[in-house]
Amino acid sequence: MKNKLMHLSNETMNVGFVKKVEALSGSSVRRCFQCGKCSAGCPMSAFMEHPPNRVVRLLQLGQGQRILAGRSIWYCASCETCTTRCPNKVDLAAIMDALRKLSWDADGPSKESYVQLANRLFIENIRTYGRQYELRLGAAFNMKSGQFLKDLMLGPKLISKGKLKMFHSKNKNIADIEGIFKRIEEMRKKGEAL
Amino acid sequence: MSRIGVFVCHCGENISRTVDVEQVAKAAGEIPGVAYSCDYKYMCSDPGQTLLKKAVAEHKLDGVLVAACSPRMHEKTFRKAAEAAGLNPYLCEMANIREHCSWVHEDRGMATAKAKDIVKLMVERVRKGKSLAPITVPVTKRALVIGGGIAGIQAALDIADAGHKVVLVERDPSIGGHMAQLSETFPTLDCSQCIMTPKMVDVANHPNITLFTYSEIEKVEGYIGNFQVTVKHKARSVDEKKCTGCGVCMTKCPKKKIPNEFDQGHGMRPAIYVPFPQAVPNTPVIDRENCTMFQSGKCGVCAKVCGPGAVDYEQKDTFTVEDVGAIVVATGFKLYTIDRKPEGSPIQGYGEFGYGTIPDIIDGMTFERLASASGPTGGKILRPSDGKEPKQVVFIQCVGSRAREKGISYCSKVCCMYTAKHTMLYHHKVHDGQAYVFFMDARTPGKGYDEFWRRAVEEEEAVYIRGMVSRMYQRGDKIVVMGSDIQVGTQVEIEADLVVLATAVQPQDGADLLAQKLGISYDKYNFYSEAHAKLKPVECATAGIYLAGACQGPKDIPDTVSQASAAAAKVMTLFAKDQLERDPVVAKVNEKYCVGCFACKKVCAYGAIEEKEIRDRQGNLVKKVAYVNPGVCGGCGTCQATCPSKSIELDGYTDEQIMAMIEAL
Repeated sequence: MKNKLMHLSNETMNVGFVKKVEALSGSSVRRCFQCGKCSAGCPMSAFMEHPPNRVVRLLQLGQGQRILAGRSIWYCASCETCTTRCPNKVDLAAIMDALRKLSWDADGPSKESYVQLANRLFIENIRTYGRQYELRLGAAFNMKSGQFLKDLMLGPKLISKGKLKMFHSKNKNIADIEGIFKRIEEMRKKGEAL
Repeated sequence: MSRIGVFVCHCGENISRTVDVEQVAKAAGEIPGVAYSCDYKYMCSDPGQTLLKKAVAEHKLDGVLVAACSPRMHEKTFRKAAEAAGLNPYLCEMANIREHCSWVHEDRGMATAKAKDIVKLMVERVRKGKSLAPITVPVTKRALVIGGGIAGIQAALDIADAGHKVVLVERDPSIGGHMAQLSETFPTLDCSQCIMTPKMVDVANHPNITLFTYSEIEKVEGYIGNFQVTVKHKARSVDEKKCTGCGVCMTKCPKKKIPNEFDQGHGMRPAIYVPFPQAVPNTPVIDRENCTMFQSGKCGVCAKVCGPGAVDYEQKDTFTVEDVGAIVVATGFKLYTIDRKPEGSPIQGYGEFGYGTIPDIIDGMTFERLASASGPTGGKILRPSDGKEPKQVVFIQCVGSRAREKGISYCSKVCCMYTAKHTMLYHHKVHDGQAYVFFMDARTPGKGYDEFWRRAVEEEEAVYIRGMVSRMYQRGDKIVVMGSDIQVGTQVEIEADLVVLATAVQPQDGADLLAQKLGISYDKYNFYSEAHAKLKPVECATAGIYLAGACQGPKDIPDTVSQASAAAAKVMTLFAKDQLERDPVVAKVNEKYCVGCFACKKVCAYGAIEEKEIRDRQGNLVKKVAYVNPGVCGGCGTCQATCPSKSIELDGYTDEQIMAMIEAL
């Protein structure tokens, strides 16, 4: 997919998608002049099939689908090194956020990457328990990703050292936390949040 | 016995780091005939020069040698100092122990030994040196400007405004050059015609400017301050004095379908024509190759309709000789074409782009004409093949330029900016169209230039694709452009309606022939060479000839205008004096021994050698000898090396001096 011939025309360039990314991120995509400083400092660059500069480049060419088909956006650690160092004021971290949101909206959990699944389970746990319940997170991730035995042998070790709790303990302010989630959902409806 | 003073310079640490300067000074002091020697930290500084002057007076020196840097650097400095001390300046020489020694060697012992040798042989040259007096030549305060584009116009106006007479010679029927063809100019997008035509009119109306259009340089003789230039006035077939410029002849001419060069062949003109409506002068010419009257002898319509009777089919080419003191060469450029080139040509065409056979692949200048309100489409962007408005336009940069394989390795400098401008013009005129630009680098060094380019990308929605186009071919009514985006790392394919090539800037046709007439040098591309890339950027190596504009190398309008004004300033500097003083390092002929073989004449790069007749008292020819015109001689010494009878010598570099130098080693 990555090296596939690219046909460029008004039809094949999805400008609408780019406009959405720009609106969500509040950052211009066209402003990037491809100096590569974002990729140079990105700690996750080596793991991405499209390093950060190329993500922006594909957006400039209206090739959002190529980005969403890959896992680069899910490997982004949101450390914001790119945004901090960009000489041309492109907020790449915000663009990555916007892309993740659009990816989620478009096809739900990514087939290519488990990062998104892990993120979702993480957030669900928070909503349910008000804090993280690692054992459930690990178990649910293994079940849903189909890797039933993944890191299984680490479990007893972590439990014996007290790093992994067998039983969850609910946050007593769980109602307040639910309030935060509700508010975000309302803001999303109004288009005030991603 | 001579009394020579040797001054050894440390040049800070530049020389003393690798050369033991004290030892060199000491060794110099032991050479017979050296009356004084010393070393000093900076000889070129004020105290250094004072040291030299004092030594000349105190030790009654009759020759001075400064062992320091290259004479190109400080010969003038020290000769002035020597002159101030009462010595003939040409008895002061320099031994180069920096560029020729300390800078290029590491071993201190060996470098010191070499420095001593250099000093030793230069002492001999000083010893055999002669007092010379500077040469004076008169100056004709009238300038010739060759080329009537923006460069020539600017130079002519500046010189004329300074109060000097100017002759402006233009090859085409009108002045204006390429700038008159442009639609809008970067980075301000002001209309080219609007800023150009007033200047053209100024030239025509200036009392100090004589304008010769449709004329060419036939022959150039003479030297700085005293050139005789033969100008060929091509037959216009229209009497410039009688013609009122009413234009009836053009409307009545039955042959109207001749491609107009001014519109890059995309508009039509009659056989009797002015290139464009704002032409200066507004006098038509008859294109004899396309005129029915000249081809078959039947027609004569223009002569019949011409009220003042200005049309003259019998007109012949005429010649005038212009006496001028300085020449500004401003012959401009032409654009590279992708056509197939003749066998063996150093420049190649683009087979991968179809050798120019695809009608909707055009060059930048054609796009200018399409975008120009006065152009063949009235300012509408319509493609040449079917007159449709293109919705997908691909611009390709560096076509010909930076393409060693095609024979041109330089950057044409203006294309990045004009392509950015083209995408803007296109976006302004075709709102639903998309412009793509294939480029390698965007080179935008200039005031407001990078901002302009970024504006094209960020606001005017041009899609810039870093990567080149491999091939283009016609598919239906589209042109398939196969390129790559090296930032994404994929191949890119675009079906374009129109392709605009930013083709290379090349010197004007016949630039080399003109250079040979003028006796100026040019590079392998036929761009004229300046005397020094940084410090003499407008002067030619040939004295009295100056360069302006793209004939020297690709240039945009601001750079061209700056250089033209600089060339004008150089001419004014020359004209500020009535007499010109020149370095007397020129060749002299010993007429007694000269056999008149004129081998020297053949090798002289400056054309300084003339034939002189020697007659006895009765007027009978005794022999012919060579004569060196001191005004023209460049002092290169080639004649001296060539002369089989050793009867021509360069002052300051005589055989006697050179032999003494060799013997000293």
